[in-house]
Amino acid sequence: MNTQPEIPLNESPLLSEPHSRGGRHRPRPVASWREHHGWSAAASLRRLMSRPVGTLLTVAVMAIALALPLTFYLLLGNVQKMGEAMGQNQTISVFLQPGQSAASAHLMAKQLRERPEVSAVAVKTPEQGMDELAKMQGFSGALHTLDSNPLPYVLEVQPKADASADSVDRLVSDMHGLSGVDQVQDAGTWRQRLEALLGVGQRAVLILAALLALAVLLVVGNTVRVDIASRSEEIGVLMLVGASRAFVRRPYLYAGIWYGLFSGVLAAGFAVLVELALADPVARLGQVYAGKLHIDVLPLWLLGAVPVAAAVLGWLGARLVSAWQLRKAA
Amino acid sequence: MIRFDQVSKRYEGGHEALSQLSFEVGAGEMAFVTGHSGAGKSTLLKLLGLIERPSHGVITLDGQNLAKVGRAGIPKLRRRLGMVFQDHRLLMDRTVFANVELPLMIGGMAPVERARRVRAALEKVGLLAYERQLPATLSAGEQQRVGIARAIVAKPMLLIADEPTGNLDPSLAVEIMDLFAEFQAIGTTVLIASHDLPLIKRMRKRVVVLDHGRLVADVAAQEVL
Repeated sequence: MNTQPEIPLNESPLLSEPHSRGGRHRPRPVASWREHHGWSAAASLRRLMSRPVGTLLTVAVMAIALALPLTFYLLLGNVQKMGEAMGQNQTISVFLQPGQSAASAHLMAKQLRERPEVSAVAVKTPEQGMDELAKMQGFSGALHTLDSNPLPYVLEVQPKADASADSVDRLVSDMHGLSGVDQVQDAGTWRQRLEALLGVGQRAVLILAALLALAVLLVVGNTVRVDIASRSEEIGVLMLVGASRAFVRRPYLYAGIWYGLFSGVLAAGFAVLVELALADPVARLGQVYAGKLHIDVLPLWLLGAVPVAAAVLGWLGARLVSAWQLRKAA
Repeated sequence: MIRFDQVSKRYEGGHEALSQLSFEVGAGEMAFVTGHSGAGKSTLLKLLGLIERPSHGVITLDGQNLAKVGRAGIPKLRRRLGMVFQDHRLLMDRTVFANVELPLMIGGMAPVERARRVRAALEKVGLLAYERQLPATLSAGEQQRVGIARAIVAKPMLLIADEPTGNLDPSLAVEIMDLFAEFQAIGTTVLIASHDLPLIKRMRKRVVVLDHGRLVADVAAQEVL
């Protein structure tokens, strides 16, 4: 079974140059460094694979922690988009005082159209208002009993889609001040509330992401800590035969990177599943509203960045724990 | 090669393992350190491997003052030593070959050269046929020989061994000691801590005797009876 060539004793490397010092062989720092990185990456992967259940559990916990903020981010983006889609259809209704003439209504409409934040102004006559009311169930009977039309002229003002909330506010208060205006009905406050709520949501997602990133760091750190503790004997031997701390640490850092990478890929997979699950209900919701609403998916760069960021987290967790533990061992 | 100058080692708790120890071992020399248990043999070897630091005194190794070797310099120094332990300290989940290869891998040697050296070392200790086996499948004596192969594979300037035959039966112990003598014959400095007096006498090498951390006798090789 033994096929290695016999080494003649007089040529044996052990005999030819006894106890030589220092440059025993040509130094090849870059090549050996690269070689050990390759070895560490492969060896740590083999170790993870040699206990698949434990590895899978760790990776799954980390993946869920990563998938949570991703999912919230996805939901938040979609709620925001829906809010915008609804906001675009939103008009401000300006009710003129009863008795205002058609001419003054049209003049006011013309003046409003000249404002930069206004996209369109439609004049609704009292007759049109009456027709609309008549179409609503339950009103037709009651309306017939009226001898005259009590409805005023109404201006339907549509702000530009890109108009800022401030300029729309200013428009609303300006219209309040116009003579002949009875009241201004603005659904904008509803939109502002949604925006404020979304702002809270965005901050919450950021905080959640930071907390869960910390959780990922702790999970990796603890796993690597247990790993190092179970191999303290091996680490002791390595150090006795002259391994530097960087050398000893390298396989554990790679283990951290692998944990992060795998959990990141799994988390991105979770997020895609959530997207698929939400696509249908969101499309149905879209039909109810503008008719052109569909789910806003996570951008590809973000899905790609998750495994990379997770690998960095894994490395960092392993780095912190191993530094602390090897100092203890030394 | 080795020079101890008024070296004392006091452990935390006050136990003085070595006190004012001075001796020298020349390059290429082989010496035994002996004494009853607790005499300070292991401590002496630990100081050489920088596993412990002396409380007082100066240790010089190959002209280098060990006190000046900082924490970052320890790995580099240990790569120039070969250490053999009573419990051999092999990695049980790696093959015999991988165990012996370890110091060369740490030293950054190219794989081809590494394989050549590992096989030469295994051949020297008579275990070339076992390179693919795990240490657990070997006998105690064979495991100790793997440990020796690992210690000498990087051609250390100094080979130190702490009770290398402590767990072996007498005939195996003689075999191991003869192996150390062979390394001395090719120029390696060898320092062995052992309490096995009959075995030490048989080897006819220099003997340094410690008692309660003090040097009580230093017997030259030709005076060993």
